[in-house]
Amino acid sequence: MSNHAAITVNRSREEVERLWNAEVNGTVTFADAPGDRGTEIHVELNRSGNPVSKLLSTKALAKVKDELRRFKQRVETGEIPRSDATPEGERVERKFKQRPAQPLAEGELEKAGLS
Amino acid sequence: MKATVWSGRNTVQVENVPDPKILNDRDAIVRITSTAICGSDLHLYDGYVPTMKKGDILGHEFMGEVVEVGRGVDNLQVGDRVVVPFPIACGNCWACRHELYSLCENSNPNAGLAEKMFGHPTAGIFGYSHLTGGYAGGQAEFARVPYADVGPLKLDDDLSDEQVLFLSDIFPTGFMGADFCEITGGEVIAVFGAGPVGQFAIASAVMLGAERVIAIDQYDYRLQMARNRAGATDVINFAEDADVVEQLKALTGGRGPDAVIDAVGMEAAHGHGALHAVDRVKQATRMQSERGHALRDAILACRPGGIVSIIGVYGGLMDKFPTGALMNKGLTVKAGQCHVQHYIKPLYERIRNGDIDPSFVVTHRLELGKAPDAYETFKHKLDECVKVVLKP
Amino acid sequence: MHMPPRPVDATLHGVVDYQAGALLTTVLPKLAGIEGTRAARQIRTAGAFHAGYSTVTDYPLGIVKLLPFKAHLALDAVGAVALAATPFITGQFKEGRRQWLPHVALCLFELASLAMTDPTGRGDFHGDVDAVREANLEDPHRKIYDGGPAVVRAA
Repeated sequence: MSNHAAITVNRSREEVERLWNAEVNGTVTFADAPGDRGTEIHVELNRSGNPVSKLLSTKALAKVKDELRRFKQRVETGEIPRSDATPEGERVERKFKQRPAQPLAEGELEKAGLS
Repeated sequence: MKATVWSGRNTVQVENVPDPKILNDRDAIVRITSTAICGSDLHLYDGYVPTMKKGDILGHEFMGEVVEVGRGVDNLQVGDRVVVPFPIACGNCWACRHELYSLCENSNPNAGLAEKMFGHPTAGIFGYSHLTGGYAGGQAEFARVPYADVGPLKLDDDLSDEQVLFLSDIFPTGFMGADFCEITGGEVIAVFGAGPVGQFAIASAVMLGAERVIAIDQYDYRLQMARNRAGATDVINFAEDADVVEQLKALTGGRGPDAVIDAVGMEAAHGHGALHAVDRVKQATRMQSERGHALRDAILACRPGGIVSIIGVYGGLMDKFPTGALMNKGLTVKAGQCHVQHYIKPLYERIRNGDIDPSFVVTHRLELGKAPDAYETFKHKLDECVKVVLKP
Repeated sequence: MHMPPRPVDATLHGVVDYQAGALLTTVLPKLAGIEGTRAARQIRTAGAFHAGYSTVTDYPLGIVKLLPFKAHLALDAVGAVALAATPFITGQFKEGRRQWLPHVALCLFELASLAMTDPTGRGDFHGDVDAVREANLEDPHRKIYDGGPAVVRAA
C-alpha cells in the first residue's frame, strides 16, 4: 500500500515553493527534477497504522493526487481542466458519479458555481 | 442543440441537449459546420471502451465558426473559421512543450481513472468516454473547445469543409503512422487496414517517398479506393487468402516490408481459425479487451530490423503478443494517439499546395439527424461506406 | 430506441456452444452425480458432437466455415430433443431421476437459448441502409472508382 504521491511541475524550485498552497495531510518535500523537467513535489502521507485507516488510505492517497494535479494545472496553465462530466474539475468523490458528457443546463451551471 | 449521444451498446440517438457555455477563460465555443464519424467511435459504439455513460455526446472530428471566446483567448476572434484537433492539450506542460500533445499532462480531469488503466493519465479527448475526461464531443451543433489558444487551426482560404475537416484527426494520424516509418525514399511499406486512417497512411507514405505501398484489408471496395485514390501500389485481400505474412514476403522478394503500419486497432476482423476464435470468445466474454490479430501479423511480417508503427487504437491488454519475434528480429515499435497540433500546420500547407485532396475518402455526406443509421452503415461496411461526414 | 429482435447474436451463441460443449464433455456428469453411468457417456457424446459441428459452422467463431448457421441451429434443436429422448428410449429412466433429469434439463436450456438467438447469423444490424443511400449527398461508387489519385507522389 503506497503512502507516497509525487508530481512534477515544470517551473523552477523557487517558484513552486513560493506558490505552494495546497492542503495535504502529509509531509511535503520539493526536489529539482533532472534536466529541464522542473520541480518534483513529494508527499508522504501521515499514517496512523491501524487497519481501518489502511482501508481509508486509498481514498486519502487519491485526494492527495487530486490536490497535486490541481496545483500543477493552476501553475502551468492558469486554470483547472473542466469537462462536461466533471464541471468542478477532478474530484475523488465524483469518480463514480459523473454527469453524462454533455453541456450543463442553466440550473446545473449555477449549482456547480460556474454561471 | 441537437447532438448524437451514446445510448447503450450499438445505439446512438440524436437528442436535444443544452448548448455549451464557456467554463474557463481559455475556452471558445465553435458552431460546427461539419463533423465526421471515426473508426475509433465504433469501439465506443460496440461497447468495448469502459466508462461510457448514457447521454455522452460523441464525435472528435469537427470544424466550424468561432462564436464565443473566453477572456484568455487572444489568437481567435468571433467569426474565425477553424478546424479543431481531437486531443485537448494545454500547451504548457512538459509533454506539450515537446510537441507530444496527445500526452498532455493537464487536460484530463479524470486523470485518476486513466492512471488506473495505463499507469499515467494522457490528454483529454473530445467525445471519447470518461477515461479521457468526459468532454462532450463534436457530433453536435456546437462544441466547447478548451485551451482554444493552443488547439484550433485558423483557416483562411476557399477550401471546402471536406478538404480540411480531416486535419482534426485522420489525416495527421495516418501521416504520423507513415512519419514513424522514417521513409527516406525507396522503401516498401505495408499498411494493415484500408479504412479512412489506413487510406491516409497510404497516401502519406506515397507523399513521403515510399517506393511501394501495400494495402491490406478484407473489403474489396476499400482496397480499390486505396489503389485508385490513395496511391497504393499493391493490395492484399485477406478474405481471399488469409496468410498475409506469406503474401507480403512474396511481394517483397522474401524480405518483408521495411515498415508496417497498424491502422486497425483492437477490433481486428481477421484471424487464422482457432486463434481468431479464441480471440473473439475472449473479447465477447470480456476476458480480454483486444483482438490483436492485425498487430500479430504486422510483427511477423515486418522485415528484421524494421519499424512497426501503431496508430490503430487499443485500449487494454491482448493475449499472445509475439515478443519473441519482436525481440529477435530487432524491431522498433512506435505508437501513439496522434499529436495533431504538431502536424496540423504543415499538413494544411500540403493541402493548400495541392499535394493531396483529403476529401477523397468521403463516401457519405448526411445531415446530423441520420447519425443512427449512419453508424450502422459505417460499422457493417455497407453501401461501400468508407467515411461519413455529418452536417448539423 | 432500438430493440433487437433476439438478444443472442451469432458470436454469443458460439461462445455458449463452446462453453457448453466443454462443460458437457468434462465435469457436468460428475456435477450431476452420474459419473460412470451410460448417462454420462451420452452427455459427453452430445457435448463433443455439439462442439464438433460448431467448429465447422459458418459463423464468427467457426474455424472452417462450412455449415450454414441456420443448419447449425436446426442441429441444436434436433440434438437437444434427441438428448432428452434418449433416456426414455433406452429405458434407463427407470433407474432413477439422475438418469434422465440432466438430459431434459440440458434440452430445455438449449431450446431456451435457441429461442433467444438471432438466426440471421450476421449480428444485430438494425440500420436503414436504404434511407442512408437516399439521403446521401455523395456517390460512394464514384468516389472509389473515379477521380484518379488524390495524392501527389514525392518528387
